[in-house]
Amino acid sequence: MSTDIHDYLAQFEDIPGTRVFTVARARKGYWLNQFAMSLMKPENRERWRANEPAYLDEWPLSPEQREAVLARDYNRLIDLGGNIYFLSKIFSTDGLSFVQAVSTMTGASVEAHQQMMVAGGRSPEGLRSIKEGY
Amino acid sequence: MARLTAGITTSHVPAIGAAIDNGKTEEPYWAGLFSGYQWTKEWVQGPGRPDVVLLIYNDHASAFDMNLIPTFAIGCADEFQPADEGWGPRPTPKVHNHADLAWHIAQCCILDEFDMTIVNRMDVDHGLTVPLSLMFGQPEAWPCKVIPLAVNVVTYPPPTGNRCWMLGEAIARAIASFPEDLNVHVWGTGGMSHQLQGPRAGLINQPFDNAFLDDLTKDPERLRRMPHIEYLREAGSEGIELVMWLIMRGALGPHVRELHRHYHVPASNTAVGHIVLEKLS
Repeated sequence: MSTDIHDYLAQFEDIPGTRVFTVARARKGYWLNQFAMSLMKPENRERWRANEPAYLDEWPLSPEQREAVLARDYNRLIDLGGNIYFLSKIFSTDGLSFVQAVSTMTGASVEAHQQMMVAGGRSPEGLRSIKEGY
Repeated sequence: MARLTAGITTSHVPAIGAAIDNGKTEEPYWAGLFSGYQWTKEWVQGPGRPDVVLLIYNDHASAFDMNLIPTFAIGCADEFQPADEGWGPRPTPKVHNHADLAWHIAQCCILDEFDMTIVNRMDVDHGLTVPLSLMFGQPEAWPCKVIPLAVNVVTYPPPTGNRCWMLGEAIARAIASFPEDLNVHVWGTGGMSHQLQGPRAGLINQPFDNAFLDDLTKDPERLRRMPHIEYLREAGSEGIELVMWLIMRGALGPHVRELHRHYHVPASNTAVGHIVLEKLS
């Protein structure tokens, strides 16, 4: 395995439809992820549900991050430095399961996504490498 | 002296915990998954019963936020509560540690050049509680002591497979030098193939998973050398959790026998793999 950090990180950009949670993303998403984490406390969930924009005023998010949180746009949140395990606190507070939330990122309906999983999931065929197309 | 006798691996999907907690294990969606654990439930509460389980898992942004990212963290307090992950804590018993053995392992590993992070106050999430529920069901109290060992597989880079293997070897040396007569298991959890983000979410790779299960006994050296990029390409972004299985495998040493295996797709978004290995001398 490459121990050169530049080579190591460069490989990750070659995986279709995947954002590896690198340090660059972790730094960009620091406050977004910390905000999401705050929803682990019942009293915070209550305040969040009562007034989402006011709750977000307490966190130094970028305008794009704020908009994507309010829109529950999870692909965009991941592009803006969110990590799925942190973001799961937002959709859990909404009462969504991982299957329900994850399906919103795939362009399929929840039912179609669930059916695909029951039928054995998404094949990795053609989805391993952008450059090499296998 | 303490004896390391067996290793168990299992996926730790949160929906499995929810199915147990909500009495859904016999529903058609879940029945096939749970039937594959029946053999282990009987064995682990009968002839294979451990006094202590060293349970390797990853924290899913529950105890550790972006403020603290320990690569290897060992829980050393006397007890740990189930975490509130956004829908209230799971209704599972609190976890009682074997704190003497946990501190012994922490000290030995540091002298053995593994600089462990020591944690006292830490709630344990589904990564730790779902494997306990799968093996022990829904008792009033867990029937053994549990040492939590949390591995960072969220923020990159996680530890290499080889490093995980070597930590397992160091843990085995530490267990062997603990003076109390104890039957100790090492459980490696997480995996198998799954991806929870982006347009590629839902990826499952059954040939990769089955080869991984095979090679825990047939060719563990291949697994030990597998680079992170291969996990990511083949097993999905969250498939990287499988590096944690290699701590278990490294701890068991060169000679093992497979006692039981189960593979099932899907649980939620995930391929579930489970194997029981006996350590041979």
